[in-house]
Amino acid sequence: MRAVLTDVSSPLLWRYESRRVGVAAQAAPAAALAVTLLLTAFTANAGGSRADIERLLLTGLEAVVPLAVAVATVTVITRDRCRELHLALPVRYVTTLGRRLVTLVGAAAATAVIYSAALVATGWWSGPAAPASPLVWVPPLLALGGLAMILTVVGRSVVLASSGVAATWLAQQLYAASLASHAGSRPFFLFLTSRYGTGEGWLLNRFALTVTGLCLLAVAVTALSRPGAAPGEEEQ
Amino acid sequence: MIRYEFLMQIRKRSLWISMGLLAVITVLGQGDAGPRYLPDDASARVVASSWAFLWSLLLPIVAGMVLADRLVRDDRLGVSRLLESLPTTATTRVMGRFLGALAATATPIFLATVIAGGAESISREDPAVLLWTPIAFGLVLLPGLVFVGAFAMVVPLLLTAPLFRVLFVGYWFWGNMLGPSYMPSLAGTLLTPVGDYTASWLLGERALYAGADGWLQLLRPEPNGVTAALSVALLLGVGLIPLLVGSRVLARRATA
Amino acid sequence: MDITIRNLRRRFGKVEALRGVDLELSGGMFGLLGANGAGKTTLMRIIAGVLSPTSGQVLIGGHDMSTRQGRVAVQRRLGYLPQDLGLYPDLTAVEFLDYIGLLKGLDDRTARRRQIAELLEVVGLSDVANRKLKGFSGGMRRRVGIAQALLGDPALLVVDEPTAGLDPQERIRFRTLLATLPGRRTVLLSTHVVEDVAQTCRETAVMVDGRIVFTGAVSDLVRGAEGVTWEVVTSGPPPTVGEIVSAVSDAGGTRYRVVSVTPPDPAAIPVPPSLEDGYVAFMQGAAAGRSSA
Repeated sequence: MRAVLTDVSSPLLWRYESRRVGVAAQAAPAAALAVTLLLTAFTANAGGSRADIERLLLTGLEAVVPLAVAVATVTVITRDRCRELHLALPVRYVTTLGRRLVTLVGAAAATAVIYSAALVATGWWSGPAAPASPLVWVPPLLALGGLAMILTVVGRSVVLASSGVAATWLAQQLYAASLASHAGSRPFFLFLTSRYGTGEGWLLNRFALTVTGLCLLAVAVTALSRPGAAPGEEEQ
Repeated sequence: MIRYEFLMQIRKRSLWISMGLLAVITVLGQGDAGPRYLPDDASARVVASSWAFLWSLLLPIVAGMVLADRLVRDDRLGVSRLLESLPTTATTRVMGRFLGALAATATPIFLATVIAGGAESISREDPAVLLWTPIAFGLVLLPGLVFVGAFAMVVPLLLTAPLFRVLFVGYWFWGNMLGPSYMPSLAGTLLTPVGDYTASWLLGERALYAGADGWLQLLRPEPNGVTAALSVALLLGVGLIPLLVGSRVLARRATA
Repeated sequence: MDITIRNLRRRFGKVEALRGVDLELSGGMFGLLGANGAGKTTLMRIIAGVLSPTSGQVLIGGHDMSTRQGRVAVQRRLGYLPQDLGLYPDLTAVEFLDYIGLLKGLDDRTARRRQIAELLEVVGLSDVANRKLKGFSGGMRRRVGIAQALLGDPALLVVDEPTAGLDPQERIRFRTLLATLPGRRTVLLSTHVVEDVAQTCRETAVMVDGRIVFTGAVSDLVRGAEGVTWEVVTSGPPPTVGEIVSAVSDAGGTRYRVVSVTPPDPAAIPVPPSLEDGYVAFMQGAAAGRSSA
């Protein structure tokens, strides 16, 4: 009964990894969007303008979905009861984590696509042309997700990574006007679409966020690939 | 139990690094209206309160993140059964852990306040700033920390820690920093954990959105000494509710 | 699978867990004995590719464990049972083994499921194969652990403290299971429970403070306690000379088993030593050597 190592991309393996990610993490983007819809309903009920409501709905896609994915990323990377066993298997642990993160992002992407389609279909879409709608949420998701990964791998702490992601998100919300008005910071402003629309510099902004996110991911993956580098939760 | 909980949390490197990181972000991002740029003749009370209010914008986030899986983790580490076998009630255990963890997460924030107060005392040659520092901390920061900490400790028992963290960040923005004219929010009410009511009273002018017209107008009286005290009482009182709920949940799980 | 380790060191901050370990073994069941904190688990983790050493060389089956290719080549033929084996409580025993089997590259579903069924039979968990792991006792969890280690018919089995926390019946069962494992394999068993080694291994090494201080046949370790192992039954205070290996209440008082160069009591009688006596005698000698150095 010799083991023959072949392809490990079996659909069954993906199902198992999806169970490792968990329903809560995969449903977090949807739950967060549901809260956004609730707040939008409140605003509409309180006499909010159409422009305000459209902006809120777009904020759910651009700000809330990436936040949910980033926070869940921290948990996916740090919480594994069988980490030591995984490190002794011939499949790289970073590959296993990668499968889990793809599952997480896939669930978020499905949620985002359905949400976008619903907004377009109901006439509440205020973003770019429909085929470009992924540009609203993909670049900030990559950037914030990449930041979450780097902070988790380097800091080896759920608290540090979560706080870092939260601080970045909140600071960008708080100082939105300042970030959007300076040429140096505008390309890295996460919420340009929902705050200021798709005017001048929007494509550059989306490109810069995407590249930043991919760079952060690459560094995180490289760090994770070192033997014994898999971060558990901080020993507490 | 409070003492050991305190020691457990205060020794976490991540607590200090996270607080330090957010403190730096806060200081760098304070802009022209920040406490560093107060006029030279600003009173000690105003200077100390401005710094306390500045810290209250972001530093409590770390407290929320630290406490988010405090109770959930006992189950994961296999400690909960051991604790349930002790001759203490669930309420005592929850309160003990809460108070210890709160003290630990409040310590770096208090230190940040003291450091800022000390620096201002020296640069302004006004030792009174340092005297006002603990008062400002106690009135502006502490009630909000109690409020945030209590919910952060208990809500994950019902929602899971990752989902709580996402909603917490969104809540922090919506409930503290989003102008009530923009959309219905709790920002600027007596239940705003950022402490803008007490800050407004101490500063002598409106801080952020305290008392601004908006949703739930009943919770938006004009900021003054009485309403500041009411805000403190409400934050502390409402903060007790999740702790009681948490005790019930844990007690029920122990007998399940 | 041969294992050759030369001058292996591993440091964690200021703590040096391994201080120049040298070891060579080939085939069969090999026991690694040592007290808690001796460095056994660190050594097991390095052999399993979970940790990298600070310095030194580890060759397993001719593969250099300091290279990625070497590690993967070894891990393809490795079964590892860690000391702290976490399991996924939401999975059943079959699902957990299925998952690990997939990660070990056992892609043929039919063959994999057949192997899982056979292994569950071997470890005595067929009846609970479809029960969720969260309902498993400590002994059952360990058995799931050994089953996952055996998936893929590994040439090298590394087992770290397998009987810790098990009740006596589970411990006996586990030792019986371990004894059937070697065959064509190399099995490395790390434990602080001397009886685990006594019942399953022919060769053993002893670790103290990050170093290997004895390597050889189990019988040689036992022989080291010949002439210095005593039994004395007394209802008075325990003997103060030598080291007490065991104390059992008896009809006539308490029966003490003592390792001592000189008789611990005028009524003490010499007895044939066990591995536990040999281990204690060796550690006594090693301590005496250290204190006189």
